[in-house]
Amino acid sequence: MQYELRYRVLEPRRQTYQNVIDRLGDQPASRYLEATLDVEPTENFHYRPTWAQDRELYDERFSALRLTDPYSYTDPRQYYYTPYVTQRAALHDEFGKTLGYLEARDLLAKLPEAWHTVLTSVVVPLRHYESGAQLVSVSGARFAYGTSLEQCCTFAAFDRIGNAQMLSRAGIAAGGGTAEALKEAKRQWLDGEHLQPLRRLTEEIMVVEDWAEGLLAVDLVDSLVYPLLYQHLDETALLGGAGAYSLVAQHLATWYADQRKWLDALLTCWASDPERGEDNRTALTRIAATWADRARDAVASLTEAIDQALPQAASTTVLGDLADAHATAWTKITGGAA
Amino acid sequence: MSTGTLRQVAIDLQESEENRALIEAIKDDNPELTLRHLPGLVKVQAAGRIVINRESVENRLGREWETGEFQLAIVSYTGNFSEWDDDRIIVSWEH
Amino acid sequence: MSVPTKKAASKPARKLPLKERYALLTRDLDWEPGYVDREQLFPHTRYEGIKIHDWDGWQDPFRLTVDAYYKYQVEKDKRLYAVLDGFAQSQGHLSLSDASYLNAIKLFIQGVTPLEYAAHRHFAYLARHLEGPAPRFAALCQSVDELRHCQTQIHTISNYNKYYGGFHSWSKMHDRVWYLSVPKSLFDDAMTAGPFEFLISISFSFEYLLTNLLFVPFMSGASFNGDMPTMSFGFSAQSDESRHMTLGLEAIKFLLEQDEGNVPIIQDWIDKWFWRAYRMSALVAGMMDYMLPKPVMSWREAFELYFEEQMLGGLFPDLEYYGIQPPRHVNDAIAEKDHLSHQVYKILHNFSFAAAFTTKTPDEAHMAWLAEQYPDSFDQVYRPVWEKHRKIEADGGRVFFQGLPQLCQVCQVPMAFTEPGNSAQISFRRSTFRDETFHTCSDGCQWIFEREPEKYVQAWLPVHQIYRGNCGGPTVPDVLAWYGIQEGDNGEYTGSPDQLAWAAWHSDGDDKAV
Repeated sequence: MQYELRYRVLEPRRQTYQNVIDRLGDQPASRYLEATLDVEPTENFHYRPTWAQDRELYDERFSALRLTDPYSYTDPRQYYYTPYVTQRAALHDEFGKTLGYLEARDLLAKLPEAWHTVLTSVVVPLRHYESGAQLVSVSGARFAYGTSLEQCCTFAAFDRIGNAQMLSRAGIAAGGGTAEALKEAKRQWLDGEHLQPLRRLTEEIMVVEDWAEGLLAVDLVDSLVYPLLYQHLDETALLGGAGAYSLVAQHLATWYADQRKWLDALLTCWASDPERGEDNRTALTRIAATWADRARDAVASLTEAIDQALPQAASTTVLGDLADAHATAWTKITGGAA
Repeated sequence: MSTGTLRQVAIDLQESEENRALIEAIKDDNPELTLRHLPGLVKVQAAGRIVINRESVENRLGREWETGEFQLAIVSYTGNFSEWDDDRIIVSWEH
Repeated sequence: MSVPTKKAASKPARKLPLKERYALLTRDLDWEPGYVDREQLFPHTRYEGIKIHDWDGWQDPFRLTVDAYYKYQVEKDKRLYAVLDGFAQSQGHLSLSDASYLNAIKLFIQGVTPLEYAAHRHFAYLARHLEGPAPRFAALCQSVDELRHCQTQIHTISNYNKYYGGFHSWSKMHDRVWYLSVPKSLFDDAMTAGPFEFLISISFSFEYLLTNLLFVPFMSGASFNGDMPTMSFGFSAQSDESRHMTLGLEAIKFLLEQDEGNVPIIQDWIDKWFWRAYRMSALVAGMMDYMLPKPVMSWREAFELYFEEQMLGGLFPDLEYYGIQPPRHVNDAIAEKDHLSHQVYKILHNFSFAAAFTTKTPDEAHMAWLAEQYPDSFDQVYRPVWEKHRKIEADGGRVFFQGLPQLCQVCQVPMAFTEPGNSAQISFRRSTFRDETFHTCSDGCQWIFEREPEKYVQAWLPVHQIYRGNCGGPTVPDVLAWYGIQEGDNGEYTGSPDQLAWAAWHSDGDDKAV
């Protein structure tokens, strides 16, 4: 009897949740949309936060960058929890395989000296930068307005610990399976002259109150560091007999390509918002004016150190091109508002 | 403080094909164990402590098993993870 | 060019011990800020009076690295979504014990799923604002886990939503509907507190003290009633929950060990949050005893097993070492374990015309089970009430309470609980603050109110808000429309759209099979 019943198609009363129907009509909705749209509470909060008495628990005023409808932004990758962890499990699995290969042959410890120096004194110390970026991203996980946006920040925050761990594991491998390279990397992060501008910048970004400004300031650094260290240096490494570096770098480049997708879509969404667009463009211009040159200077200090060890990389020249291209891209998004 | 008697610790495990070997291994290594079946889960309980040994689980399972995989099986517990390393997991009370 | 040394070339890299490797990959990522002040970086960790001398004293037994996290979580989700897909494809909802079972799941998505989301957001706050890297990382993992729980619940229940009422507007309802202000206000209370109180309220009192009591019997109930998807998401979530419980237990031990001055502050929070969470669990008590067509474990039995035996008998003797006592007012909770679920279900039964679920009077078999589970109270006090309802219903009637109930200023449950030890006397407490009178339902709630009256007077009490005209209009239909309740979501189960559809689907099946 039950058996028979299972072969009948029952007419559903509705295809999806009412809030999704209100937005998109009564049609089947993706798991991403059901798990994202209108999940964050919007009204009737009971008490004021003791840590921010002039704010509600969820409050768009935590940032100058706002959207008329927070769900006009959706993640182009459509990540909710499951696809997110599935993607990242694959990334880390690939990384683990790469590292296993390198470790079995001790290839990172045996990098040509100049490359070993760059890896341990410039690249591996950036695990601390990643950790700082995590703190900044997780602020968005709490304070961004709307589930579609905070969810991206949440995943980005978790990603950053993942990146820090990839760099750390590369450091352990570079130290021949010991903690030596990590200790040295931390010493460099704390005292190495070439790293201090970036460390100072990271700390100053970590205390920025507007979570979105912090996130974008980090992105201004990312958009120089990632193409430089994990794409440009990757190519140089392949030509310079340091294939092991390239094998590590590719995974961080893969991550960065993914990170760009949601952030670029977000920038466009902020800048083109029907009601808030103009204010947003002004805020974005101010943020770029505050942080872009500092990001460039901090990364320049890294490229000088790299060029000392690897003049053939011409990192400083490449940095200049990257920074100019990036500035042009931002101006395009913000429409040159000032 | 000490009550003079050993207080109960407990672990609730999902009752499934994957977890059968694990539950058997826990039974092997904790002779005092009591089992209670509820729909969908097994509650194992013992006075003082419960130990899970990687080797015992691997023997039952016939493959390598990481103690981290215990996280796929556990539903809940009472007590304290006083030890969790590569080779074994111990749930007990501390004081 | 350096000449590779021989030592590294021949043998594979040494493996760092798990503990050291874990420390390098997590807490070693932190550094002492040199260009900004620590207080500027972590501005919220001082105002609650908690003193921490060494954040590195925090232990994390799970030692989960990010790659392992992804690996295990993907495996869990693969198993879970396979169950969800299979259930949907085979129209598994038709083999539930009965459609009335779904009332428990309606209460779940309206009341609990939003709490998972709130936990997701506020563990992100801890991941930002706690000063130690180890607890920050544990909080970050929990934040992501809680998002998982919220989303797997939405996806599990999505299939039921297609065929049954009451599920469709859970998010809006959580912000608006009267009985949902009970869970919402609890989490708002915790989130608006400082980071340490949040840790004690949610990680310890909620996740460690009460989570077993609330979830494990409920998930067993789902299994027993043919709801494999809910059982699967429940047990799958609980496997994360064991990490969260560990965070809660570690948090309390850490705070107690750091400074003796922390002990009285923590004791106060345990007292407050035990009672706050316990009061909210009254909704679960009603659900366990009355909403499952095939009940599996009574509230009383679960309370004795998971709370009295395991927490009072196991955990608190452990905490006594630090000078922590069992929660103030715990004896009131013990005293009313024979009454709680019955009193709550009476409220829901009386007011379900304004709820997004339906209720029904328990039938003879269900009452026999209740009498067996509650030998000291059911036949004496509650059977006569239900008998009266049955008689009225046999004559074609159905009693709903007309008018709006008064709500407790703290827990926001309608004032219908009785005095401990006297089930004939409604418990009613009064307090005055700034020349105004406020009502609470129990000594526990009154104590909580009087500790922080300036906080609890801010409460958004649904009944007051209706009187003030903030809920869509003055009439019941106005308010129901504003709540997002659709025709037939509410009221009596028998004759409801869910019940009629269920009967039609099953009788059709019979005809075709014959």
